[in-house]
Amino acid sequence: MDDVQLQQLGGPLTIGLLVLFFGLTMLISLRISRRKENADAYMTAGNGIGLGVSAASMTATWIWAASMYASATSGYVYGISGPIHYGLWGALMILFIYPYGRRIRAVAPRAHTLAEVMYARHGRSSQLMLAGSNILGSVISLTSNFIAGGALIAMLSPFSFSQGIVVIAGGVLLYTLWSGFRASVLTDFIQVCAMLGAVVVVIPAIFFAMGGPAVFVEGASNLTPQQTSFFSSDAFLNQGAPYIAAVLAYAIGNQTIAQRLFAVREDLIKPTFITATIGYGATIIGIGMLGVVALYAGINPMEGDLNNLIPQLAGTYFGPVLLSIFFIMIIGSLASTADSDLSALSSIMMADVYGRVGKRKADPRLMLTVGRATMVIATGAALYFAGARMNILDLLVLVGAIWGALVFPVIASFYWEKVTNKAFTVSVLAALALFFPVRFGWIPMDGAVGYVFDVVAVVGVGVVAGLMTFGFFGARPARIVGLIAALAVAPFAIGFLHDYAVLSGSLIAYAVSTVVCTVMSLSNRTGFDFSRIARMTGDFDVEEGEDLATASARAAIGAEQQLPQSR
Amino acid sequence: MSAFWLTAYVLMWPVIVAGVLAFIARAFFREWLEARRRGEPMI
Repeated sequence: MDDVQLQQLGGPLTIGLLVLFFGLTMLISLRISRRKENADAYMTAGNGIGLGVSAASMTATWIWAASMYASATSGYVYGISGPIHYGLWGALMILFIYPYGRRIRAVAPRAHTLAEVMYARHGRSSQLMLAGSNILGSVISLTSNFIAGGALIAMLSPFSFSQGIVVIAGGVLLYTLWSGFRASVLTDFIQVCAMLGAVVVVIPAIFFAMGGPAVFVEGASNLTPQQTSFFSSDAFLNQGAPYIAAVLAYAIGNQTIAQRLFAVREDLIKPTFITATIGYGATIIGIGMLGVVALYAGINPMEGDLNNLIPQLAGTYFGPVLLSIFFIMIIGSLASTADSDLSALSSIMMADVYGRVGKRKADPRLMLTVGRATMVIATGAALYFAGARMNILDLLVLVGAIWGALVFPVIASFYWEKVTNKAFTVSVLAALALFFPVRFGWIPMDGAVGYVFDVVAVVGVGVVAGLMTFGFFGARPARIVGLIAALAVAPFAIGFLHDYAVLSGSLIAYAVSTVVCTVMSLSNRTGFDFSRIARMTGDFDVEEGEDLATASARAAIGAEQQLPQSR
Repeated sequence: MSAFWLTAYVLMWPVIVAGVLAFIARAFFREWLEARRRGEPMI
């Protein structure tokens, strides 16, 4: 299998497919472009998009090329439960954050970024922590998508990796630059159709080309007992558990998700999130099944790199037509996430770095220039990092874990009036101060030290379980579930959890930020008035005859009418 | 697990994906027609 010759797309066909894909998205972008763009629409598309566009956009953004490759890797390494431990948890996290999304939207109906809301709730340091982590995460994600595109083009066409990343970066930038988020969400619909349509064809096509059901009989001896089990502890501890902790943080902290939350019509938040949950889960688990089938078939990944597995299967078993469909599937997945990252980055720079600084009134024209310049600079930076071919997946896991330190303080800030800026900032910094030494093994975990960190990590298990429960059922059930989860896990986790540095570090970040934020907030005697947030996060680009104060008041009235009881 | 159930386990996902795609497309075109009828842009 190592010496296998892969089918390639010819040069003209590759160029034709890229022109078709980016040409179509560019055409859509041109059709919705306005000579005079509105700064708020550039960031949130007017806060009223419908179910079709929002569900397509949320699904397309959450699915990216790396997640397809990673799910197949999980299937290949951990066997039949592997794709579930990648795709199911990622999907459920979309579902788990939707009640928080509704609360955030009720508190700040016309906000643009989560960091902007943190500025209104706490102040500059909390805002910058969230904005900074998002900039880091989005640049890394953008880089990762360029790398995936470059690698795909290098593998399946006569063009080089460098040519590939430049074409992908240029294509995405062209259609996103002028209309920003509006272009991103509308083109997401075309991209999701291409992507999901291709998944429907590609999975059965590869499966039957590899031998169909017979492969499960002939290749059964290639699997270990753990790989044939639906309840593999290997798969859960190495893949599922760290992923639960990281993805919850990702879903809460990621501006690409928050941006769609602020854009969708408020009554459509629930169906949007449910559709995206099912769409993402089925797509990613389905692609992961190709890794399982490859394991049964005894296929070895080219050059020992598991990221090559999916393109390798397509190149081995597909002719030009199916290979073209596969090519569009991967290009669609990476373009939809890359344009979301560009939109997220531009919104952060527009709203958080330029828009909400001091008492001066922001100039909407200058805001748009800031947003567009951000897209160009971010694309350049991501191209530079992609050229260096850094280990992006490791960096992403790291950013996810860093966001773990932010999850409780962010969520608590929307429900608990006692949380202060100081509690937010100190708790996040304290969590990070312990996360890094644990994650990178700077502290020897022998003897009692390891046990102490395991106990803290078990508290983190309770926090994660509690947060998942809280959004749906409130504080009391969350405390009960958190306590039960921690107690149930403790006998199995204490004594060995520190051996899993990624999982342990993430859980410790959750635990420390939660405990420190709670203890510091309890001493606060004053409460925060949540209706202030809506007044401070209104539109920037208001129509003539309506000043900023009027627009903010309109947003605040809307928020007060819908604001549920804080818990 | 038998080959039959493993096959079903592999092939059920594209079927679900097809269902989601149909749902999203239906919602999109309904909104597109509605926007056209009102003479307003979709986004």
